[in-house]
Amino acid sequence: MIVKKPAIFIYTSEPDREILREICAGIEEEGVFYEIKEQTLVPKDARSTAARFAWQAAQDSMLGSGIGVSQRDAALQMRGLSVDRCVESYHVPTQAQCRKLGANSARAIKKMPFK
Amino acid sequence: MSYIAGIDIGNSTTEVCVGEVGAAGTVHFLTSASCPTTGTKGTPANVHGIKAALKQAMAQIGQEIDALSCIRLNEAAPVIGDTAMETLTETIITDSSMIGHNPSTPAGAGQAVGKILLLEDLSRAERGVPYIVAASATYTYEEIAAKINAVSDEITITGVILQADEAVLVENRLNKKLPIVDEVARIDKLPNGVSAAIEVALPGQTVRMLSNPYGIATLLGLNAEETRTVTPIAKSLIGKRSAVVLKTPGGDVHENILPAGELYFHAGAVTSVNLDEGAEKIMQALADAGDIQDISGQPDTNVGNMLNRIRKGMSELDPTADADVRITDLLAVDTLAPVLISGALAGETCLEKAVGIAAMVKTQKLPMQEIADRLRAELGVAVTVAGVEAVMASLGALTTPGTKLPLAILDMGGGSTDAAVISETGEVTMTHQAGAGELVSMLIETELGLGDRHMAEQIKKYPLAKVESLFHMRMENGQMTFVEDSIDPRFYGRVVLLAEDGLIRIEQDIPMEKIAAVRREAKRKVFVTNAFRALKKVAPGHDLRKISNVVLVGGSAEDFEIPEMLMEEFAGYRIVCGRGNVRGSEGPRNAVATGLVLSYIGEQK
Repeated sequence: MIVKKPAIFIYTSEPDREILREICAGIEEEGVFYEIKEQTLVPKDARSTAARFAWQAAQDSMLGSGIGVSQRDAALQMRGLSVDRCVESYHVPTQAQCRKLGANSARAIKKMPFK
Repeated sequence: MSYIAGIDIGNSTTEVCVGEVGAAGTVHFLTSASCPTTGTKGTPANVHGIKAALKQAMAQIGQEIDALSCIRLNEAAPVIGDTAMETLTETIITDSSMIGHNPSTPAGAGQAVGKILLLEDLSRAERGVPYIVAASATYTYEEIAAKINAVSDEITITGVILQADEAVLVENRLNKKLPIVDEVARIDKLPNGVSAAIEVALPGQTVRMLSNPYGIATLLGLNAEETRTVTPIAKSLIGKRSAVVLKTPGGDVHENILPAGELYFHAGAVTSVNLDEGAEKIMQALADAGDIQDISGQPDTNVGNMLNRIRKGMSELDPTADADVRITDLLAVDTLAPVLISGALAGETCLEKAVGIAAMVKTQKLPMQEIADRLRAELGVAVTVAGVEAVMASLGALTTPGTKLPLAILDMGGGSTDAAVISETGEVTMTHQAGAGELVSMLIETELGLGDRHMAEQIKKYPLAKVESLFHMRMENGQMTFVEDSIDPRFYGRVVLLAEDGLIRIEQDIPMEKIAAVRREAKRKVFVTNAFRALKKVAPGHDLRKISNVVLVGGSAEDFEIPEMLMEEFAGYRIVCGRGNVRGSEGPRNAVATGLVLSYIGEQK
């Protein structure tokens, strides 16, 4: 049996270190756990990679909240939304946007309004 | 056969009813419409809104406006309502002596006392002196934690104040756990070297020490006199999750009582009442004064200016009758308004006492004939000004199934609450009272601190719900609704309004229960008070028990909860009270317009 920890899943593929770090800081400030998993199978269509990762992460996370980071693209998903409807997504996000994305992934679980 | 249109110009909406009159004097109602009133009621500016409403109504039966053979305007009651809000108290912080707010994620828990020390001055700290470190957003959370960890063995640090939203991030990296308050925007205003007390509440609790004057005295070592001066600080920190209080030498928080001014009631003799005394005293003085001829305010005070403004607006309508513009009624309501504290460091607000006032201005006559002439010129249709508003409203209300004479109507509009009683012989007694839907909107706007009248109007109109997941929401009555398609994430976790065409998001972070309570209380304060006031005035012998039937009409009677509130209140007087249903189909709207068409037949006979 595979036991999943209650955590936000972050699926990544060669993520920008700075972006990933700020997203994690956003989650940590809200007091929620997260797990980062580097993906080996990367879809060919690179543009929607972050969104696809986020969707898969949301499916896999016990909490239903997932983030995808592919190079300098980041996306947030919640379980139940279709793959093309991210909660939010950015191409080359700023530091503030990264924090916000991280905080919102935690707020999705805490049932709090997004920032 | 000819088409007759009745038009009712109200404070906020213009309503139209179109009927077809047969040769035998029978009337067949065809269509109705309503549009927002353009300009102040009773002014030629209304023509625009009238034409829009007429066009809308005629389009529904596939006709043009010129198919009408007669347009009947109501002789609008020459009363115009206006509202204003006056705060009576004010909290001012001099020398920035407190911070109290609800950052969503403070860190640590407990209280701490120490001298404020800026992070860049850590090296200048003395041994054995307790410090509270203040760090600006220019430092990252890792730098802040590293700097504090590096000196934690040499100097005593008891707490941390941060500018950025990073309390948890810093705390997770500290070797020694400390209470941390974050999101303090004006950290640059913190005076270096001053004694401060800091408190972060336990999860699910609110601050205990700093919301208690003796708690502050204990932490900062204050004497009895100083303790007295910090009482307003303690008061404004009640209910907060984190707080900082500074002991600045000249620092002080004042609770000013603003000179709000006196109201003068002219009714034979002149009586006066101070606005500070609150709504209850004002309304009592008003009732005791008797037949009010005019109301004025003390010159050069808030209330004086407010009443002058209302009076001036009205006199512009009818410059000839300048001397005859009189304020004949007002409704005062106590309220609390969250006001930004001047000198606050983190955008704190304090609930201040305020009085909301709706005033009603009466002139001799509104220039209705001018509107009629303008309409006739523009449309080429005969226009007559016919009938007193209250009589027309009664005629219209009588078309509600299940009504009979004698009948009382309560017309709850946007600007005024009017009541009329028609006896079996057709005699009409009527009254106009200040205060209706617009005052309710203003109360909602100020009590919730919305700063947006349009939002307040919508909160008044629509029930609330909280979006609890992407697939379900909880209504304010506890009922759950599930949706097939996921709700837009913009609404996630928010309190929303259930409007006809979808959800409206409330931007402010206010609990649903609070919004609902404020909304209901505002409606109760205005409409229940006014319904009793108005009906008492028109009831035979001023005895409510002599009224058996009350029909509620007007825009505010459409509200989803006001009619029920009144029904409950009137049940004790054995009065049959309910929302009107004009012509059995229109609901509480369109009573006056319908009455105008009906009265045409009466005139023909």
